[in-house]
Amino acid sequence: MKKLVVAITCFLFAQGAMAQKELLSLNENNKYIYYQVVEQPGLTADAMYSRELNFLRTAYPKLSIKPDKANKNISGTGKFVVTSVVLLKHEDGELSFTYSIENKEGKYRYWITAFVFTPYQRDRYGNSVPQPGIAIPLEDSSKFNKKDREGYLDQTALFCKQLEEKLKLYIINAPAPKKEEISKKIVTDKW
Amino acid sequence: MKKKLLLLLLAVSAFSLASEAQDTVKTTSDAPLVVYGSVDTYYKYDFSKHANIGTYFASDNNSVSIGMIDLGLKKKVGKASFVGELAFGPRGQYQSVPNGDGNVLNANNSFNIQNLYVSFDVTDKFNLTAGYMATFVGYEVISPTGNFNYSTSYLFGAGPFQNAGFKATYAFSDKVSLMAGIFNDQWNSYTAITQSYTDTKGVVHQNGEVSTFGAQLTVTPVKGWTAYLNFLSGKYSGTIEDLTTAYQITDAFKLGLNAANKTGAGAADYSGVALYPQLAVSKIVTLGLRGEYFKWKATPTTASSSFNAFTVTANIKSGPLTFIPEIRFDHNKDKPFTDSSFVPTSSASQFALAAVYAF
Repeated sequence: MKKLVVAITCFLFAQGAMAQKELLSLNENNKYIYYQVVEQPGLTADAMYSRELNFLRTAYPKLSIKPDKANKNISGTGKFVVTSVVLLKHEDGELSFTYSIENKEGKYRYWITAFVFTPYQRDRYGNSVPQPGIAIPLEDSSKFNKKDREGYLDQTALFCKQLEEKLKLYIINAPAPKKEEISKKIVTDKW
Repeated sequence: MKKKLLLLLLAVSAFSLASEAQDTVKTTSDAPLVVYGSVDTYYKYDFSKHANIGTYFASDNNSVSIGMIDLGLKKKVGKASFVGELAFGPRGQYQSVPNGDGNVLNANNSFNIQNLYVSFDVTDKFNLTAGYMATFVGYEVISPTGNFNYSTSYLFGAGPFQNAGFKATYAFSDKVSLMAGIFNDQWNSYTAITQSYTDTKGVVHQNGEVSTFGAQLTVTPVKGWTAYLNFLSGKYSGTIEDLTTAYQITDAFKLGLNAANKTGAGAADYSGVALYPQLAVSKIVTLGLRGEYFKWKATPTTASSSFNAFTVTANIKSGPLTFIPEIRFDHNKDKPFTDSSFVPTSSASQFALAAVYAF
């Protein structure tokens, strides 16, 4: 019986791993959004801002980053590849998005939205490349095969969740900024 | 025992499904070995009741025939990548790639290679590539997944299919990049073969030169519009100037253009222009027209000869499968075609229905 429970748990875990799209909501503009508010008691907005910048530059170097130092906010754009499985895993296209991170004392909020799909085509050299000029909002269900769109929503939610989890871990575990070493200076005009 | 097996099976399925979901966010550069390709088959009926239009592929009349099975492997690790693409079938062998090195035992020995190259990203903007590659010249390609029409243009057939060589590409910005390279002396050859002679034992020896210069300026003036200015020049293969451009003007309407001029040594000289308007009328159906003017230039022994060709094509998609019904009308006042009685005529027309499955 115990083994059966473990087996069912494994199966449910597998299903859960595939069904991530519930993590996405619609915002006031009817755009899919992944939105999180994260409490970080004891951390200043300034500290979180600098850690977020470090994180994005090192872990996601291909994202565009627009830092707003005055307000301790970060925004930008990025994209990731989405796939489907037809015999083999197939790179269907890429989803571009915008993201924002806003900091306040002891907490930050984070969202990713404006997902737009650009299908890939295979070029003459065998590379998968974006089809120029095609940009389909993920909300436009009429332009997608239903199964493909479900898959893209799952992959979108998973991408957002992973980014957010990595960011959260980095903010908690980021090394403290190096203190400037004060070198001892000898003043010769005094004894 | 059965329970253990059940448990193992479910655990494996759970792991594999979870892995699947995790992998999906990976980018191309992190991907494992990628296998891609296509298969295509077609039926063609020429209204003269025999094969009449001499452009490439869809060559057999009143026959359910095969194109090719195309199998590509590619992998990228860090900055280094390779592509190896093999093709089997009429389209992928004797219609588009060369045979062996000229020796008797290799005379009919196809290597089946469409692409075989290695590539290295020196920086994010600067790439070096060497090997045997699909040509950068022209609008249409050998793979049926890369073309909208199933039959090909005269421009496609007259120009190179592949060039072996070494090229460097630098991206100045998202909108401008330049490729420059040095290629083997001949088009469509796995080796450079400027000279070829047979010794007393019947063994063929070849000497070659890597002496053809090629360049491609890629410009993206506005979103959705990409233009390629191509130049290929060598003392053994002549000079081609080529403009290939496509503009996705709206989500539904795309306009493509190819114009080229060939002069000098090597293959016959030609010039031509082809226009490719395409309109997506639904999620699964796109209609397209190819209108082409093409001229073989005069030589000391032959007069010039011009073709006008119009091809109306639909692409009907069902997942990875595309049905391509197509009707084509060609005209040449020099009467290179023949009617059903094999009397020379200035016009030819054909219908083709192809199915292309891409993976």
